[in-house]
Amino acid sequence: MSDNEQLLSIGAPGLDVDRLVAEIQATADRKMRDGVYSDARVARAEKTNLVHLRGTDGFLTFYLACLRDAVFVDISDFEIRERRSAFAPALVALKKVIWKLLKFYTYRLWSQQNQVNGLVITALQGIEEQTEGRIAKLEARVAELEARLGAAAVPGKARGDG
Amino acid sequence: MAERLAFVAPRYAGDGAVGGAETLLKNLAIHAARMGYEVDFLTTCAQNHYTWENTLPPGARETDGMTVRFFPVDPRDEGAFLRIQQQIDRGVAVPAADEALWLRNGVHSSELLAHLAANADGYRAILAGPYLFGLTVAAATAHLDKMLLVPCLHDEPFARLATIRAMFGAVAGCLFNSDAERALAGELYGFPDARARTVGMGLDPFDADPRAFAARRGLDAPYVLYCGRREPLKGTPLICDYMLTFRERTGRDVRVVFTGSGDIEAADALRPAILDAGFVSEDEKHEAMAGAVAFIHPSVNESFGIVLLESFLAGTPALVHAKSRVLVAQCRAAQAGLWFRHYPDFEAELLRLLDDPDARAALGANGRRFVAREYAWPAIERKLAGAIDALLPRRG
Repeated sequence: MSDNEQLLSIGAPGLDVDRLVAEIQATADRKMRDGVYSDARVARAEKTNLVHLRGTDGFLTFYLACLRDAVFVDISDFEIRERRSAFAPALVALKKVIWKLLKFYTYRLWSQQNQVNGLVITALQGIEEQTEGRIAKLEARVAELEARLGAAAVPGKARGDG
Repeated sequence: MAERLAFVAPRYAGDGAVGGAETLLKNLAIHAARMGYEVDFLTTCAQNHYTWENTLPPGARETDGMTVRFFPVDPRDEGAFLRIQQQIDRGVAVPAADEALWLRNGVHSSELLAHLAANADGYRAILAGPYLFGLTVAAATAHLDKMLLVPCLHDEPFARLATIRAMFGAVAGCLFNSDAERALAGELYGFPDARARTVGMGLDPFDADPRAFAARRGLDAPYVLYCGRREPLKGTPLICDYMLTFRERTGRDVRVVFTGSGDIEAADALRPAILDAGFVSEDEKHEAMAGAVAFIHPSVNESFGIVLLESFLAGTPALVHAKSRVLVAQCRAAQAGLWFRHYPDFEAELLRLLDDPDARAALGANGRRFVAREYAWPAIERKLAGAIDALLPRRG
């Protein structure tokens, strides 16, 4: 009896968590490639998981795609509210005045920051693509050299056998 | 005349002190007493594992069929401890003197060690843990020939210290909580199988009404659950990050319930969806488990996962981090939980549990059967007695 069969016999017939997880992960991987998770919220969610993901294949590509969605800070106007009920209208009015005074400066600041964020993420993606391309070429070259080495070794082995 | 056993742990579980290792050692000691051993449980007056402040009165108490002896923690240089701990945590190699300083200023009790030294001859075996506390290391190295370490070993920088390696190399034996932990000791220290036994901890079966917790707490939506200490090392911020994103991306109103102690680091947007139940009774914890869609255990540093097994016993499947070899092994062995590498896996798996009640029920039933069979106390008691006899054979 294989290990897998032993595991299956423990639980409900037909249920195999290894298979279930493998199916789910394959679907998740495909969706990641399709951009389903290229979402700033996913980048934010992964911030405490980064240390566990660093060595994962394709992680950097995925994470940069998520970050691409996150780099641009929303600098448009927003509804100003006040949670404390006492003096709420007065506090809202005060906040609106403060916002109007600061808006000119913060708009300039954040629009420049957005430009920098965008340039940095583009540069990082470029570096990552270049590195991936170089690694792929090197792997292909290593495989080719190994194949040549293998082919060269066969006659020698035959001679030794003889 | 009954044989005597000593258990050494830095805290006594209960009365405001909660911790998996402490709970495990306490339960093993209680069951050893029920098996007929005369048990001395040696511990400190501290309850808080950050401050190690002496908050309990020193002295002996008869409880749970054994004698629990509380000893004061020695004064500590917390600054030195934290400075060295941060270096170790960052993977910096520290000199032997700093390792000793770190252990000395973690938690240490000269009075406890003096008591142990004065009474060691009368003990058949001394069981101490977890591995990374100065108290454990000092007790182990002073009584190597009688020491059965209950290490609760994690794959972390502390486990790679020279002092820790030397301790593992010299103790009479180790009682591991799982085969995965035992394998880790083999990888880290070349720990020989002949000096190792897998014992773990038993769980008493229970029945819990899956609707009771939600009804009592006014929960009107499905929820996921975490029980235990809330701290970054346990991965609780990840639960908040993932659940916030899950709720936003899927639009599903799935709540997050926490029991246990510690701050919950969550974004304001998630706060309305969180129920912090704090410390709850065992019955209420089991009810919370029984009613949850899933028990989430994101810690990658576990040697056992008591709450995971409890959730299995409550008939609730688990979602665990793929990097936790122990928890993944338990999910696999029980066929009762799924593991995630990152958020996309997590989202897909939680959606599956929410949308496929048959699969969820099958996983839950598997878990309940598995724990009832593998972690029944009579089986664990036999393993404990067998381990003591095998690792410390009677002389003469």
